Amino acid sequence: MKVSFPYMGCVTGYKKLMEKLGHEVIMPQKPTQKTMELGVKYSPEFICFPFKVMMGTYIECAEAGAELIVSSGGCGPCRAGMYPDVHQKVLQELGYDTKVVVFDSMFADFGAFMEKVKQIKNGVPLYKIPALASYIYNMIKKMDKLEKRLKIMRAYEINQGDYTRAWNKLVKRFEKCETTKEVNRTYKDALRIFDEIPRREVAEKDKIRMGIVGEIYVIMESSVNKNVEEILNNLGVEVENVQYISDWVEHNIVPQWLPFPKSHRVLKLSDKVAPINCGGHDKENMGWVYDFKKRGFDGVVHLMPFACLPELVNLGKFPAISAELDMPILSLSLDEQMGEAHVKTRLEAFTDLARSKHYARQKKNISRHAGVSEKAREVKDKVKDLSAGAPGSPEYQTK
Amino acid sequence: MKYYIGIDIGSVSTNVIAMNEDYVVCFNDYIRANGQPLESVKKGMGLLKEKLECKDSDILGIGTTGSGRELAGVLVGADVVKNEITAHATATLHYHPDARTIFEIGGQDSKIIILQDGMVTDFAMNTVCAAGTGSFLDHQAERLGIPIEEFGKMALSAEQDVRIAGRCTVFAESDMIAKQQYGFSKAEIIKGLCTALVRNYINNLGRAKKLEPPFIFQGGVAANEGIRAAFEAEVNHEVIIPKYFNVMGAIGCAILAKEYIEREGVKPAFKGFDQLELEFTPTSFECNDCPNMCEVIKVVSDGKTLAVWGDKCGKYAGTSRK
Repeated sequence: MKVSFPYMGCVTGYKKLMEKLGHEVIMPQKPTQKTMELGVKYSPEFICFPFKVMMGTYIECAEAGAELIVSSGGCGPCRAGMYPDVHQKVLQELGYDTKVVVFDSMFADFGAFMEKVKQIKNGVPLYKIPALASYIYNMIKKMDKLEKRLKIMRAYEINQGDYTRAWNKLVKRFEKCETTKEVNRTYKDALRIFDEIPRREVAEKDKIRMGIVGEIYVIMESSVNKNVEEILNNLGVEVENVQYISDWVEHNIVPQWLPFPKSHRVLKLSDKVAPINCGGHDKENMGWVYDFKKRGFDGVVHLMPFACLPELVNLGKFPAISAELDMPILSLSLDEQMGEAHVKTRLEAFTDLARSKHYARQKKNISRHAGVSEKAREVKDKVKDLSAGAPGSPEYQTK
Repeated sequence: MKYYIGIDIGSVSTNVIAMNEDYVVCFNDYIRANGQPLESVKKGMGLLKEKLECKDSDILGIGTTGSGRELAGVLVGADVVKNEITAHATATLHYHPDARTIFEIGGQDSKIIILQDGMVTDFAMNTVCAAGTGSFLDHQAERLGIPIEEFGKMALSAEQDVRIAGRCTVFAESDMIAKQQYGFSKAEIIKGLCTALVRNYINNLGRAKKLEPPFIFQGGVAANEGIRAAFEAEVNHEVIIPKYFNVMGAIGCAILAKEYIEREGVKPAFKGFDQLELEFTPTSFECNDCPNMCEVIKVVSDGKTLAVWGDKCGKYAGTSRK
């Protein structure tokens, strides 16, 4: 069968899975201006932005001949729960026979889950599934690991664009890997390639780190969030995103009472301010904000689709949380009207803010230690050295 | 005499300032751009050269800011290209180191900046609405047939309050017309308008923020005494208007340029006054290599491509390096 899926972050894993199951894959395009226009045109006016972009992708896929579109479900009380049915209805009304199959959590309804597995497994015998699953899991895990590294190392690249280009090439190489062995070899190569790209040396004390939290689709898909991660990287900021496919899979397959993956523990961090989950990833995101603070991050960028309910709940809490944790939080709400210049100006100003806070805190910490230390004088001299350049004039600054 | 130059290319005006090494502003010019930012930068720089009688070697550094910062940066050869928020905060902190809240209203955007201990701790920019900006006032002044310069004074002369809906420019305008039909004077309506603009500004940008004195009010709209009075009534405190309120962004980036040059010890990137005489032609084309169809903007001067931007994929980005 001709199968397709929504485009969200790195989709190589989906592609390989469908290929291995013997389907012909209609590769979705990275969402473009045209995709969004299509989506906006055929979606209900007040639906969330991710719905519109996915709608556009689905129409493009259906146009290219896809018979089946596979996606994972929202399985929550937020509007994502009704995506599949509305998508299906719109496709039908436009005259496509394309079917939309959505996997909800297998814990909610195991019978229905298995029913859908049967539908897409295309006659592949059940005993072959574990090996296939392990190959796919290994691949997405490795690729996500690399992507996490990319978003840290890219902050220090000397020739802008080196890392992005290298990463795009690597994704193509991963697409050609047919066995776990090949995946592992490519992974090793990739680590080497990343290390070889010229970077500028930045002292530990000058490193600025920011976390990205928000609605899963907009934080994972760079074409939808106006490439926030790369803009931040280009400003010399290390970025950590809280959502990756492999993490999402782990979070949804491993039972909640187990301490791993980390997202289970993070979820508990926000118990005090978010006793219940309001639908999407709001409770988890709030937990990540606390986690970022614990790990000494300098700021959090919060991305949400315009009028996303779960993230609006967070948006209302952030001013107080930001004051409590003494951590700057920038919220951007995204929709198809959003200009790039607007995002860039805010991120630039936010980075300046986080940077000056970073140096001010460093100064304060050092002088506090100086007060209690026996070798007060010695440390104080050090303080002078360290704070000579701070806080108004960091040693390097993006232009 | 040696100078640092700051250029702020906003939506309505282009501001050029020059300051000497002791941060004294020796030249400042506020030019209404009328949609021709490049021409006004040239004009401003020409005036600067004439008035200060300076040579290329007298320019120690240049900073640009505002929505046209990148283009202007290429045009003159800027050392620092900074966003408006940092630039404004830097300038304000230079004149009022103890400032806590900055209200900045420009032609097409407005911002609020919260400061503490000489550091920006929070900021907000208007996102979707133009009802709290200078363009709105401009438009209404024109409609009422009053020069914008006299707008503020007239507001102060009003004897009673009129409430004008300020949520949206469209509603505000229809409300103004309704109030006119009731027979309220122009002065009263203008006062109501100023109050509505400030109310809208505070509701939009000041949300969930603790506003503490000293308050600083800058940007082109700060020339309007009516707005200032409305701000003072809203926050119930004195609002300070800095001496160079309408060119603060330009001053800020000149200061940043000075700091950058002194810290890095690099040579200024200034291309020289002669360069400004050259013809700059920004052209744009639609790249059809993918369905994004980005509008790629290219600046050409003397047959050389100076800068390219607007491409999402970064294909042309390599050519925009200086």
